[in-house]
Amino acid sequence: MMCRLKPSVGGLHLVLTLALAGALFLAPAEAQNRAERIVSVGGSVSEVIAALGAADRLIARDSTTNYPASLLALPDVGYVRALSPEGVLSVGPDLVIAEAGAGPAEAVAVLQAAGVPYVAIPEDPSAQGVLAKIAAVASAIGLPEEGKALAASVQDGFARAAAQAATVTSPKKVLFVLSMQGGRIMAGGQGTSAEGILHLAGATNAATGFEGYKQMTDEAVLAAAPDVIVMMDREGDHAMSDADLFAHPALASSPAAVNGAVIRMDGMLLLGFGPRTPDAAMALNAALYGRG
Amino acid sequence: MVALPFARSMPGDRSARAAMLFWVLLAALGLTALLSVGTGASGVSVPQVLGDLWAGQPISTRDRVVLLDIRLPRLAMGVLIGAALAVSGAVMQGLFRNPLADPGIVGVGAGAGLGAVFAIVLGGLLPASVAAVAGNHLVSLAAFLGGWASTLLLYRVATRRGQTSVATMLLAGIALGALAGAVTGILVYLADDRQLRDLTFWGMGSLAGASWAKLLTAAPLILPALALAPLLARGLNGLALGEAAAGHIGLPVQRIKLLAILAVAAATGASVAVAGGIGFIGIVVPHLLRLASGPDHRWLLPNAALLGAILLVLADIIARLVVAPAELPIGIVTATLGAPVFLWILLRRRGMMDL
Amino acid sequence: MLTATTLTVTLSHTTILHGVNFTARPGALTAIVGPNGSGKTTLLRAVTGEIPSTGPVTLNGHDIRRAKAWELAAIRAVLPQATPLAFPFTVVEVVRLGLASGIDAARHGIAAQALARCGLQGYEGRLYQELSGGQQQRVQLARVLAQVWQPVAQGHPRWLFLDEPVSSLDIGHQLLVMQIARDFADAGGGVVAVMHDLNLTAMFADSVALIAEGRVLGQGTPAAVLTDGLLTQAYRCRVRVNTPPAAGTWLLPHAASLAAE
Repeated sequence: MMCRLKPSVGGLHLVLTLALAGALFLAPAEAQNRAERIVSVGGSVSEVIAALGAADRLIARDSTTNYPASLLALPDVGYVRALSPEGVLSVGPDLVIAEAGAGPAEAVAVLQAAGVPYVAIPEDPSAQGVLAKIAAVASAIGLPEEGKALAASVQDGFARAAAQAATVTSPKKVLFVLSMQGGRIMAGGQGTSAEGILHLAGATNAATGFEGYKQMTDEAVLAAAPDVIVMMDREGDHAMSDADLFAHPALASSPAAVNGAVIRMDGMLLLGFGPRTPDAAMALNAALYGRG
Repeated sequence: MVALPFARSMPGDRSARAAMLFWVLLAALGLTALLSVGTGASGVSVPQVLGDLWAGQPISTRDRVVLLDIRLPRLAMGVLIGAALAVSGAVMQGLFRNPLADPGIVGVGAGAGLGAVFAIVLGGLLPASVAAVAGNHLVSLAAFLGGWASTLLLYRVATRRGQTSVATMLLAGIALGALAGAVTGILVYLADDRQLRDLTFWGMGSLAGASWAKLLTAAPLILPALALAPLLARGLNGLALGEAAAGHIGLPVQRIKLLAILAVAAATGASVAVAGGIGFIGIVVPHLLRLASGPDHRWLLPNAALLGAILLVLADIIARLVVAPAELPIGIVTATLGAPVFLWILLRRRGMMDL
Repeated sequence: MLTATTLTVTLSHTTILHGVNFTARPGALTAIVGPNGSGKTTLLRAVTGEIPSTGPVTLNGHDIRRAKAWELAAIRAVLPQATPLAFPFTVVEVVRLGLASGIDAARHGIAAQALARCGLQGYEGRLYQELSGGQQQRVQLARVLAQVWQPVAQGHPRWLFLDEPVSSLDIGHQLLVMQIARDFADAGGGVVAVMHDLNLTAMFADSVALIAEGRVLGQGTPAAVLTDGLLTQAYRCRVRVNTPPAAGTWLLPHAASLAAE
């Protein structure tokens, strides 16, 4: 089974058009002290900036930024939690937008001391969290109208995803498998963004009784009896064939194995909790329940 | 060997050579420090800033911050921690009479690591009031307390009737290391993805978080330990003969052992606390110096402080330049450069290794 | 004067010395002899303060258990049986480890003289670990000699405690080392040596303490202690003491003649 993402591309176009239109109507005064050299720290923050049509104002990004792919060409200032203060200063930013928890704290303090405006964006893996994130980023980069438009479209997306999820009469039990290193199944438990996206897609998490991404014992996997396995789409050596997956003794007799039900999706799309999350939820829903 | 006309030294007396090495290292540290202040991703140039200052022009905030709040505290921390790690290594090796001993052995490393892991994974569970007081130094504080507590525990285990058994301490250190590893494993299991990344980065060490505030927390522990080290030099020389012989030549062996352990716990604990795990300095530096000018601790300890500082500052320069504008964890740099150099030394001087 | 009275040593719940009395006087070479495991080295370690013991021990009137390490180091030096060295020190650096801090020039002189006295001139720059076992033993002797270079200092005798000082030496160096000890005693210092070789003991010692199973069987002149009866009792094999007219006492083990049970 494969999922399709066509709707999201259309949505993005719409957003971009709206954003561009909005930018033309900005007051001149606002435009003058608008940040034009932005460093974005955090994958979902970068995604929101790009969705607001401000990708051309980005001059550097952190190592967790990987969507849209065009941003990968920007200089990398390092991992979100291990920033180099002089490295960030060296690209000459007039604004740093970072997800909450970026650091180290000393580096952030130095950036602020150097007179670089620094905005921290709160993180929350939920629909409300995504909307709040969009609003915060939009206001930080001086695009409140575009922010409202994007938020509206994302909210609309969440509503459609919710409506789609609501049509599900018998939710499927889904096991999110993060990795199967050495035959050990690392699954997404309670409170993870994996569980978040499963709920948005109208499915239940087969992995219960623990929080975070943990290794499950084979017997617990057996007892969970998932209807479907969801995995991140990987290329090269990390790719695992369905045959290998269902050869695992704990999965071999599961309903998922019987039906050959495995869904692979891009990790950042699936777990990123950004503007693409409604699309991800709907795509996952479609893949799960055979629509689309 | 360089023959010095002015040194009235007899054959086998390497103190003149060690003294010359001291001055060479001191000069090299000066040059390294200039290089460190003068280089960085941002391209702020010291001569230019000084020229502007001379001409009476104001310095931009950015240049001032880069020089005074980024590069200078980093340099100071590199010097302090490099010296602390190298001297701690030399003192431990002298105490255990083993050139491969490392501060990790006395449990400081394991204990400090455990403290840091606790703070990273469980720091969020602390009452808000405690978290507010500890603030950003929570990990440093926990690492230091962990290192200190484990050292005291080992000391208690290994000391009977006022005599500290170095062998027992070594064994207990290994046991404590294993226990700390297991508890760390449990905490790693509990950690979420971000905490796991934090743990990984912490384990690789970094000076990126250098600040005057951090320096002020580490210096009061590291500087007294470094100042104490020269007082231990004669004692460590004597311990090379074994504890009994050291006592017979008039050394207060028990007091030397206690002071050495305290100094190492303070210096290593504070270093690990503010900069994370930085390997190889503690083993490579004393070893190189013993090859160059002999094992006399009266010269080995000050020279180790200088060479340790030089190597860590150089490693930091590399760490922040190779992947700019990002930077490498410094522990990766010290290990990737230190390990091959060390192997090369072992190959070349194979016959000397048992010495 | 060294006196130990009712000296008892118990290590790991085993009593090794049972209320031993032992004395040594300055100006004399006092040997401690006895079979393997009899407690010779334990006695030496107890009277140097290296291991805990009970029963009063005084050296030049100092209670060795109350004296500070540096106070004892100023009046006596100890040569252990074997001294492994942890780091690659040169020979002269090893010898200087025994010297209290003082004027450099004088220390150079003493280290060089001590090495020369032990037949090691020219070895100053060699690394200790590269020497043979016998050479290492002589370097350690030079270190110990340097520590108490003057046998009498400020009117008080100084002491050499030697644990089997000739055990790994050839016959020429055995005689050299015993002569060094003899000269130290003749110059007014005190020497206490644990000895294995009864003939060397008979040749050089002024006083001999014979130990067996943690007890002193006798202490006195070699002629008084090294007798057929006492030696046979101590070593559990028949030993005949000979006295050739030209030399002093001369001992030969009585081949294939184990003592009667």
